[in-house]
Amino acid sequence: MEDDDQQKAADLVQELVLRLLSQNPQTPNPDPNSPAFLKTLRYAFRILSSRLTPSVAPDATAIAESLKRRLATQGKSSDALAFADLYTKFASKTGPGSVNNKWALVYLLKIVSDDRKSAVNGLDSSVLLPNLGLGDAASSLGNGFLRGGEAKKKDWSNGVLLVSKDPENLRDIAFREYATLVKEENEVTEEVLVRDVLYASQGIDGKYVKFNSEIDGYAVLDYVKVPRATRIMVRMLSELGWLFRKVKTFISESMDRFPAEEVGTVGQAFCAALQDELSDYYKLLAVLEAQAMNPIPLVSESASSSNYLSLRRLSVWFAEPMVKMRLMAVLVDKCKILRGGAMAGAIHLHAQHGDPLVHEFMMNLLRCVCSPLFEMVRSWVLEGELEDTFGEFFIVGQPVKVDLLWREGYKLHPGMLPSFISPSLAQKILRTGKSINFLRVCCDDHGWADAASEAAAASGTTTRRGGLGYGETDALEHLVTEAAKRIDKHLLDVLYKRYKFKEHCLAIKRYLLLGQGDFVQYLMDIVGPKLSEPANNISSFELAGFLEAAIRASNAQYDDRDMLDRLRVKMMPHGSGDRGWDVFSLEYEARVPLDTVFTESVLSKYLRVFNFLWKLKRVEHALIGIWKTMKPNCITSNSFVKLQTSVKLQLLSALRRCQVLWNEMNHFVTNFQYYIMFEVLEVSWSNFSKEMEAAKDLDDLLAAHEKYLNAIVGKSLLGEQSQTIRKSLFVLFELILRFRSHADRLYEGIYELQIRTKESGRERNKTQESSSWISEGRKAITQRAGEFLQSMSQDMDSIAKEYTSSLDGFLSLLPLQQSVDLKFLFFRLDFTEFYSRLHSKGKES
Amino acid sequence: MDQEAAETARESLELVFRMSNILETGLDRHTLSVLIALCDLGLNPEALAAVVKELRQESGTNHGSLR
Repeated sequence: MEDDDQQKAADLVQELVLRLLSQNPQTPNPDPNSPAFLKTLRYAFRILSSRLTPSVAPDATAIAESLKRRLATQGKSSDALAFADLYTKFASKTGPGSVNNKWALVYLLKIVSDDRKSAVNGLDSSVLLPNLGLGDAASSLGNGFLRGGEAKKKDWSNGVLLVSKDPENLRDIAFREYATLVKEENEVTEEVLVRDVLYASQGIDGKYVKFNSEIDGYAVLDYVKVPRATRIMVRMLSELGWLFRKVKTFISESMDRFPAEEVGTVGQAFCAALQDELSDYYKLLAVLEAQAMNPIPLVSESASSSNYLSLRRLSVWFAEPMVKMRLMAVLVDKCKILRGGAMAGAIHLHAQHGDPLVHEFMMNLLRCVCSPLFEMVRSWVLEGELEDTFGEFFIVGQPVKVDLLWREGYKLHPGMLPSFISPSLAQKILRTGKSINFLRVCCDDHGWADAASEAAAASGTTTRRGGLGYGETDALEHLVTEAAKRIDKHLLDVLYKRYKFKEHCLAIKRYLLLGQGDFVQYLMDIVGPKLSEPANNISSFELAGFLEAAIRASNAQYDDRDMLDRLRVKMMPHGSGDRGWDVFSLEYEARVPLDTVFTESVLSKYLRVFNFLWKLKRVEHALIGIWKTMKPNCITSNSFVKLQTSVKLQLLSALRRCQVLWNEMNHFVTNFQYYIMFEVLEVSWSNFSKEMEAAKDLDDLLAAHEKYLNAIVGKSLLGEQSQTIRKSLFVLFELILRFRSHADRLYEGIYELQIRTKESGRERNKTQESSSWISEGRKAITQRAGEFLQSMSQDMDSIAKEYTSSLDGFLSLLPLQQSVDLKFLFFRLDFTEFYSRLHSKGKES
Repeated sequence: MDQEAAETARESLELVFRMSNILETGLDRHTLSVLIALCDLGLNPEALAAVVKELRQESGTNHGSLR
């Protein structure tokens, strides 16, 4: 204060004292110079200088409000209204001449009024309600500590005086003693502590309640004297502050980190949700702070009421925010290292709570947290867009080549899959978006947008953003199902109609799986001689020419040009010893988008099947070729009449042997081929066609195709587990081919013989005179024929023997196979039980 | 201006007086005006209230009880 003010204040105080004393009936006209007056004046100054700052926050309106309320609760509603009216007027006075320090004045009035009332009620109130020691102390704070010591002394002496009069007063004395004790202990009033706790719960250090890093929490300062109970209470209440600090720190850290590091949209949403909760909490604190000033409304007037908020009341108020704040702190701890879907999942785990309060709170939180995630799902399912800059979504995209887009382009990220989305639903979500992308990238199709909007309309949500939220898993599932249904259908439509998937499959079956008989026959005819040459001598262009010729010569020419164009000749890499047969194959070129189905591995499987079938076809072809040469054998036998009987017999036996062996081989090959063509290829194809019809999405289709191909591979003895039987089968094929070359040589020899005998016959007719020479020649021919036939029949025998043993081996392996169809093959081959009898006989011997 | 200021001051005092009456403080106009002046000087209202209370109590008690 400046000197002027000081002087002015001193004068005013003197004046005040004068006025007050003059009102006193004992000292109606105090003498300003009397020592008694001066003493009083000094006393007044001491009081004034003892406390320079008020103990409450300057808030005139709050005080006025509390005064009004008190009046209202005392039943003086008219007074209350009048007071409120006056206060408004008073508050509106501004400018020169008005009261500057309004709150101080109003506060002053309040205290004076309080004091007076307690004075009117007399000592009674303090005697009647001595157990309100703490509250009393609080309310009589206006009188201050200053008086503490004296009051004690006074009360004490009073009490002692009273004892003699009234023995009942013993109790009063005890009470009073207790009150004094309490007062002594309470260096700080509860009001102040309440205020400090309110501060602390906002993470701010109060005057007495400060953050103590040693115990990691807020606590009343050690040197402040408060009862243990209060200390503990404050500590418990200010747990809220500790939790608040934790949450707040997390939020601000995340926000700071946001642009630089990857917090992610889910993390941001989480922070925003926490922030919302905190703002609610702030509101509560503001209300509490405002209420802190007001007295408790009491029914009876007589009892003096303390301020509205006590530590105990505060603990009730704090109960609910405490639960929430604790939850938030737990979540903050959990989510510190998590991101995206994983974070949502972690929060979701906490939502499974029986307490409706907690449950609702978590639902709210999750609704906020999950909104970005659901938005991603929505745009993925309906637009095929992967809006995931922070890698939070449970679907991850990889840049891949177009043909791998479906199989490898997008993957589920199990770590980011929140637990409230089931794996099957996630799979569906993945597929739907993948379908859209597939349509867009591979099929160059835009019809999916209609399908998507249709799906959205059907599921009741719009295609706009923010249509979905947490807790509406059913709606999400519905949307996904609808979208998946439509988009998958659209995708299959596009594949079937525009890209003629089925036709391509059929073409592959016809050309690669040798379904088109006339074409294969013709191709075999024209390509066969060429393929017998060494592989090095064959040019693939030549073969391509043959292929073209075969197409033109067969019904294949009426097929779609597009498909025929895709059919190519492929020469496999070959070594020096390889023949054309070993390296020749056909391939079918799959273009985008069908290369998703006909991948390289699939095509290589087709290639294996083709090679196998081609080999089988070649064997069959060879057998038919032998048959052609064998047919006119009755004529040949007729023309050998002139031969010697021994040679003739030899010839006949060789021919017969050949026929029998051929028949046996033919029986085997025909049945085997029948099995492959009808039991394997056609049955698989019909199954595949059925499944293709039933397929609901591309995955189904791929699975069906896979199954189809695997069935063919497995049943055609090309699988891993049928390696041994395949080997024995190839041995049989080898033998048949060897038989063919032997038979060819045999018949060639016979023809040669035939021609020679004819020639010799003619010569004999012409030149009778040189019969000795001719007979000499005939002898030589006969001898040569005999030798030839002998060697041939020996070869035949060895082939027959090998063949029988191989076939026996093959047949014994056949029942060991797992496939049921192969049992039928066995049954067919051994229809008359010839082989099984032979086998058992062989065993017996 | 002075006139106006005086008017405002008077009105304020009147308002305060009526409030004080409702609150049954038992303070008269003169005392109130002194208190207003003291408050405006920035004295602690709690202390002022204490003075008022103490001096009123003087009525009943002996001066000798004060140090």
